[in-house]
Amino acid sequence: MTSTTQQADRIIVLDGTSLPGRELIGGKAWSIARMTGLGLRVPPAFVIPISECIRYHEAGKTIDDDLWDSVMDGVRSIESATGRRFGDPHSPLLVSVRSGAAISMPGMMDTVLNLGITDEVEHGLAHITGDAIYARDTHARFCHQFGDVVLKAHLDPYASGSTAADMRALVLEDVGESIPEDPYSQLRAAISAVFDSWTSARARSYRKHWGISDEGGTAVTVQAMVFGNLGDESGTGVLFTRNPLNGEATPYGEWLPGGQGDDVVGGTHAVLDLSALEAAMPTVHEELLTWAKTLEDEHREVQDVEFTVEAGTLYLLQTRTAKRSPDAAVRIATDLVSEGFIDSATAVMRVTPEQVASVLLPTLAPEALIDATPVAVGEAACPGIAIGIGVVDPDEAERRAHAGEDIVLVRPTTSPNDVHGMIAAVAVVTDLGGSTSHAAVVTRALGRPSVVGVGDGVAEGLEGQLLTVDGAAGRVYQGALPLQATTIEDHPALSPLAAWASEHCPIDIVAQHDSDILDLDVERIGVDPETGRVDQEAVTQALLANALPVRGSVLNTTEGVRALLASGTSLVIADPPLPLQLRVLQATKE
Amino acid sequence: MSDPDVPVEFLALHGLAVRKAGSPATVASLLGADEAQIAAALDAAVAEGRAAGAKGTYMVAPAGQAWLIEQYPVVYAEAREDGELTAAYERFEKVNTELLALFTDWQTMDAGGQRVPNDHSDADYDRGIIDRLGRLHERAERVVGACADAQPRLRRHLERLEEAYDKVLAGDIDYVSGVRIDSYHTVWFELHEDLLRMLGRTRQE
Repeated sequence: MTSTTQQADRIIVLDGTSLPGRELIGGKAWSIARMTGLGLRVPPAFVIPISECIRYHEAGKTIDDDLWDSVMDGVRSIESATGRRFGDPHSPLLVSVRSGAAISMPGMMDTVLNLGITDEVEHGLAHITGDAIYARDTHARFCHQFGDVVLKAHLDPYASGSTAADMRALVLEDVGESIPEDPYSQLRAAISAVFDSWTSARARSYRKHWGISDEGGTAVTVQAMVFGNLGDESGTGVLFTRNPLNGEATPYGEWLPGGQGDDVVGGTHAVLDLSALEAAMPTVHEELLTWAKTLEDEHREVQDVEFTVEAGTLYLLQTRTAKRSPDAAVRIATDLVSEGFIDSATAVMRVTPEQVASVLLPTLAPEALIDATPVAVGEAACPGIAIGIGVVDPDEAERRAHAGEDIVLVRPTTSPNDVHGMIAAVAVVTDLGGSTSHAAVVTRALGRPSVVGVGDGVAEGLEGQLLTVDGAAGRVYQGALPLQATTIEDHPALSPLAAWASEHCPIDIVAQHDSDILDLDVERIGVDPETGRVDQEAVTQALLANALPVRGSVLNTTEGVRALLASGTSLVIADPPLPLQLRVLQATKE
Repeated sequence: MSDPDVPVEFLALHGLAVRKAGSPATVASLLGADEAQIAAALDAAVAEGRAAGAKGTYMVAPAGQAWLIEQYPVVYAEAREDGELTAAYERFEKVNTELLALFTDWQTMDAGGQRVPNDHSDADYDRGIIDRLGRLHERAERVVGACADAQPRLRRHLERLEEAYDKVLAGDIDYVSGVRIDSYHTVWFELHEDLLRMLGRTRQE
C-alpha cells in the first residue's frame, strides 16, 4: 500500500478505505468503492480519476511517465491482492477496463474485458481451468472486443467458435492496426482509448445538445477479472433481492455452476435457480443473501446483484436497481413503504402511469382457458388482450376500423405499407418474424397486442374469424373469450398507491364530476389528426380560455400534463385518476 | 440527387409506394427530389389510374402497384446485377438484424429472465441503448453509403437517419422507434422497403 499512497493523486486503489466523490472517479468506480466500504468483497480494482483525463488532453493526448508509473503501482496492488501476475501464463491476472464520467453519456468507450490475455496466457488458462475451449473463446472474445471498442474496427457480432487469430486478421484488415500482444501495451492502449472517447464526435454532440461543458473528462476503472470456471466450487449468477416478476419479498436469482459472467447475462447457457447454490455451497449462499440485503437496505430499493464464486470465494461484480415487471413495481413500492424503507411520496415516484395501466389491463378468465385451444401459436411480441375480426388487407382493416369494428390485422409479414392498418387494428398477427421483427417493433411502439411467427399461411387462414389475441402468451383463440378486469380498489398494492397519489398530487383529479365540463376528446383539441402528435400549445390555450373542469385522453401525455401545469387548471376528470396523478407528480419533480 | 436515368414518373410512384401514402412533400423528402416535379408526376399517375389522390394526399392504386412490379426488373436491371450493391445490401441485412434487436431492447427490458416493457426509469439503461444506436449509426453510414455509391438517391435516407438520430440525442426519445413520425425505425423500415423493391428481394419477416 505504501507505494500507492505516494501516488495517491494520480490513481486511487478502491480498497474501501475512502469514498471519493462520483464527480472525481465516475459512477463505476464509485459503486465499487461504496461496496467495498460496506465491507463487501469485490474483485480488487483501482481508478485513474477524471482529473487525469483532463491532464492527458492538455498534454496532447499523452500518458506521461509519472502516470504510467502510478498505473503500474495500481496493477501491482491488484497482483498482490489476487496473488496473480499480469501476463504470467502460470498464474495469469486478467483485468477489465471501463470508462466512468461523472454523468454517463453516449459515445464514451465501452468496457473491455480480459485484458492481459496473450497466446501464452491462453495456454496457461487452458491448463489451469482444464478447459481449452474456454481459454480459446476468452482470447477470441477479447480480440473482438478490443478490435471493436479500442481500435474501432467494424466487426460483425462475435460468433462462438472464432479464434484469436481470426479476429486479429479481421481487425488488421479493417483498420490496418494490430491488437497488441503485450499485456501492458493492451492496457496502455485501452486507457488512451477511454480518455480519447471523451472527445469522440458522439460524446461532444451529446454534450452540446445538453449544454454539458466539454471541460472535464472520464475516469478509467481497472479491475481484476475473477473466474467462475475454476473447479467445482466456482460459478456465476444474478440475484434479485425481491422477485422482479411478481414483487414477492423473497430473493430470486439464477446460478450457473462453472459459468463466466457473460454466460448468464447473455442467456447463452441453461441456468439453475439459487437453491442449487444453497445445496452446493451453503455458506456462500448465506453470505450472498446477507450481502444482498445490506445492499438493498443501503439503496432502499430492490437490487439486481451480479456475482461470481471463484474457488469457493464470493465476489460481487455489480449492483444496480432491479428492472421489474409492472406487477412487481406496484407491489415493491407499497411493500417498501410498509417495511419503513421509503415514504409514500417516494413510493408514488417509483411507479409509472404505464405500469399502472399495464396492471389494469384485462386478462383472460382462467376458467375460459380450460377448454380453449389456440388456433395459432407464435412469439409473444407485445402483451395485452384484444378481441376482433381477422382481416388480411390493411386498407380494409383501416376502413372497417373507422366504421367502428374491432379488427385484428392478420398478415404474412408487415411492411411500411401495412402501418396504417396496424394503427387501425386492435391487434396484429403475422406468419413470419420473431420478437425483434419490424412488426414486433411497430406494435410495441403502438401498444397493440401482437403475436408473430405463427407459421407460414396460418395468419391469413384466420381471415373473417372472430379472434381473441393474447399478446403476452403468444396465442390466438377463436371467438371472444371472457375477460377478467382488475380494479384499483380490489388490488392490494394499487389501492394504497391511489390514496397516496391523491394525497400528494398538486392538481385535484377525480373519477366523476356532475357539472359542465370541457371535454377535449369531444372538442377534438390538442392532437394533430395526421401525425397523432400532441400540440401542447393548443391544449394550454384551450385550458386558459376555459374555467370549466376538464377531461380528455390528450391530458395523459407528457405534453398534456405540461399544459395542465402551465395553465394552472384546478380540477381534472380522469377515470381512474391514478395514472394521470402519477404523470403529474413525475412532471412536477422534473 | 435523383438518378437521371430513372424516369420521374416511375420514381415518384416508387417513393409513394414505399410509404404507401403521402403528400408530394413527403415523397420528395424521401427521394431527395424536387417537390414540384414529384407533384406533377403524381398528378400524371392519377390521370393514368396508377394513383389516387385527395386533398394533397396520394395513394398507390392497384394498377400502379402492378405497373411498378412490371417496371422494377426493367428500371433496376443493372442495379440487380451490380455486385457491389448486392454485397452492400447483404451487409445492410446484418445491420438490420442488430438494429431491430436494439429497438426491442429499447422498448422492452429484462426483468429476471422475462421481457417487460421498458418503463424508461433507468436513465443509464436508456443512454446505453442510445449509445449503441450511435455505434450502429456509424455502421449504417458505411453500409448505406456503399449502397448510395451505386444508387446516389439512397443517400437521402442517410440524411433522414441522421435527422432522427440527432433528435434522439437531443432528448426527443420518440424518435427511436415512434410510429407516426420519421423516427429512426420508421426511416430504416422505409429504406429497407426501398432496397427490397429495387433489388427484387422478398421480405423475410
